[in-house]
Amino acid sequence: MGGLGAVLDIAKGALLTQKYAIDVVSHNIANVNTPGYTRQEPLLEANDAQRLGGVMLGRGVQITDVVRLSNDFIDSTLRDRKSDLASMEEKEVYLGILEGIFNEQTGLPLSAQLADFWNAWHDLSNDPAGIEERNVLYERGLLLAQSFKDLAYDLNQLEREINISLDAGVARVNELLDQIATLSVQIIDVGVTGNANDLQDQRDTLLNELSQYLDIVALEHEDGNVTVSTRKGHILVSKADTYPLSLTSGEIEWEGSSGQIVVTDTITGGKLGGWLDMRDGILPQIGADLDELAKSIIWEVNQIHTQGVGTQAFSSILGTNAAADSTEEMGTVDSGLDFYDEISDGSFEFWLYDNTGAVVGSTTINIVKNATTLDALAASITAIHANVTATVTGGKLQITAAGNYRVAFGNDTSGVLAGLGMNSFFSGSDASGMDVNSLLGSTKEFIAAARIDPATGAFADGDNANAIALANLQYQDVTVKHWSYSRGSTPTSQNASATLENHLQSFVGSIGIESQSVQRAREYNEIIVDELNQTRDSISGVSLDEELTNLIEYQHAYAAAAKLITAADEMLQVLMDVR
Amino acid sequence: MRVANRTIFDSIKINLDKATEAMAEANMVVSSGKKMNRLSDDPVGLVTVLDLRSSLANIEQLQKNINTGRSWLNMAESAMSQIEDVLSQAKALTVEMSSANRSSDDRYQAATVVDGYLRQVFSLANTEVAGRYIFAGTETSAQPFAFDDDNNPTLVTYAGNDDPFAIKIGKDTNVDVGRNGEQIFGANWDADNIFKTLIDLKTALQGNDVQGIQNAMQTSDDHLEKIRNLVSDTAGKVIRLDVKEKIIRDLNLTYTERMSKLEDADIAAAIVELEAKELAYQAALNSSAKVMNLSLLNYL
Repeated sequence: MGGLGAVLDIAKGALLTQKYAIDVVSHNIANVNTPGYTRQEPLLEANDAQRLGGVMLGRGVQITDVVRLSNDFIDSTLRDRKSDLASMEEKEVYLGILEGIFNEQTGLPLSAQLADFWNAWHDLSNDPAGIEERNVLYERGLLLAQSFKDLAYDLNQLEREINISLDAGVARVNELLDQIATLSVQIIDVGVTGNANDLQDQRDTLLNELSQYLDIVALEHEDGNVTVSTRKGHILVSKADTYPLSLTSGEIEWEGSSGQIVVTDTITGGKLGGWLDMRDGILPQIGADLDELAKSIIWEVNQIHTQGVGTQAFSSILGTNAAADSTEEMGTVDSGLDFYDEISDGSFEFWLYDNTGAVVGSTTINIVKNATTLDALAASITAIHANVTATVTGGKLQITAAGNYRVAFGNDTSGVLAGLGMNSFFSGSDASGMDVNSLLGSTKEFIAAARIDPATGAFADGDNANAIALANLQYQDVTVKHWSYSRGSTPTSQNASATLENHLQSFVGSIGIESQSVQRAREYNEIIVDELNQTRDSISGVSLDEELTNLIEYQHAYAAAAKLITAADEMLQVLMDVR
Repeated sequence: MRVANRTIFDSIKINLDKATEAMAEANMVVSSGKKMNRLSDDPVGLVTVLDLRSSLANIEQLQKNINTGRSWLNMAESAMSQIEDVLSQAKALTVEMSSANRSSDDRYQAATVVDGYLRQVFSLANTEVAGRYIFAGTETSAQPFAFDDDNNPTLVTYAGNDDPFAIKIGKDTNVDVGRNGEQIFGANWDADNIFKTLIDLKTALQGNDVQGIQNAMQTSDDHLEKIRNLVSDTAGKVIRLDVKEKIIRDLNLTYTERMSKLEDADIAAAIVELEAKELAYQAALNSSAKVMNLSLLNYL
């Protein structure tokens, strides 16, 4: 064919094509701010030429496709990095909260409480008979114990919050999986007949959101399907099929074809990864270190406190630590005593005073770590004197002296008194259970500043030997266990020897170091994500200047095509006028 | 590189965020006056600061202990000096009364003076500091010395113990600031006992017993010697406390300085830093405002 009809055909095709192109441009302009939008470009192609006589004549233009300008490699790298970044951001938030909880710069931090506690013992040593000093010491001890309890509670609370977040996170992941599956089906359908660019954009946005929750691998297939799996290879969604996650008693489970599998420790990226890092790595380590510190303070203070005596002896005394089984040897784990491993072979002196305060006598009670049971200890105390009865009440040792007789202890080399919490200063064995022995709350006279004279059994209210020994504790090196937790492996511990204060300082310092390193990693990742974002946008982002230039380009082409029609029309007119 | 519109706006946001954050941090340093405001600002420095802080708390407590000790020692020194004075007077009186030209009346009257001396020494032996007896060993709450008969004492008993009250003035240093009363006044009712000497002297004067008076003269020399030794021993302890306190004060100063260096911000430098951040922020605002308005649209 040839002739004017061809011109009109070409002009019509050009008009339509340029209009399509302008459609694409306007779609781009309209979505300049749409998150996840990928720039589209019309692909124009000249129509096949047709032989006319001896020449090949072109037949105008057509749009063959509208393509998304994206780079899969950049997109998936960016997604991975964003996933890591999300994990670090969550950790940073929680470590920020931890820093607030353990703030040592303002308020009354733990280290200041501990210093106050030691100083209260110094003050008591300056006036061991003074009741005011005893009251202050009691309050200081209470504050210290309360601080440990508060910290343990705050850590617990954080863990609970993380579990709530995890729950919501897993629910959102499952929602996303469903939406991705729905979109995949649509994309496969549309792909057969036309282009699914915008659906793909939507799916990419969902994939990006999914990667904010956990580290995923997304594999796009030719037919438009996308297979999403965790980095460890557990498939989450493919076509219309989803394999959802669930949270069962704190563990994340994946529902595969062969049933529920626990995948908690395989999730490292995304918010879930960050939360799990906090919950199963950082928080338990801090909690364990806090407990060890509290335990050491309780034990070391009690160990010295039980060597001393107050300004009066006991008419009745109840231990603070209970044994689960009083028929088991106290130095073994079977006894269920919190401090069973601190009890060693040794002995203590049991002093008895009559109703006038005169010394009746002393009895050396021997303790064999792997032989003496609590019941046997109670029996040997009861055997001492008709006026003394020792019983085991609820696993705790109870000693009662009748007839206004009184009892006191001294020179314990076995640690059994501190182990049972007889005449101890603190009660409890970890941060959350730490308290001051309730006996001291009602009778401050029992705070042991003095020691019994081993020769005569006498003790003076101006004696400060035990108070000084306790004040000296702050200078002594003490062995404390330091834990290191890492998700998915059994926690390990190692012993370190330093003063209690140094232990506390390095404990607080370790939180700061952890927080600092997460901050730095986050900053580093943020820079990489920014860079990748810029690269991605340089490929896929909309530039208004560019689109406007294109618009004008297509607009001119459109005008020119219209001009072609006018020209063809005029030419036809000329022909019509020929008679 | 192709620059998308989002890139421009994103980087404006990111850069402004960073500039604001830097400015806020610089402002925090200036307004708090501290370099370390959070644990993570400088964890290693923080541990050192915490250590210095607990050392300081300890040093301040030791200073308090030293002050308590000093008040005990000063009181002991003054009491024993007074006892020394009284004993010197008693000795002078003894010398005078042992003279052959003294009448029994003179001696009888002198006995009343000696009774006064006895009561003075007795009350000094029961010296208290803030309600605590300092010559009672560790039985500080009960009066250590007592007469068998307040009107006509013939015996003085000691209710304290032999364990002197000590205070803690350093990590490994305790100083006895109280005393075992028997160490000063005599452990047994014999020639070493100051009270017995005075009571015997009084009885000898009353009974005009020249031999007894002369015996008292001999023993009081020993007593004076002992008291003088104790006074100088006490003075020596006060000097020990003073030296220790001076060391502690120096330490206090050193620690405070080190701590300040670690955690306090150099305000001048911090303000310059703040101004620099402010300038950077303004520059970012300025350039952003310009870039944001640029578009081909303005020219179409």
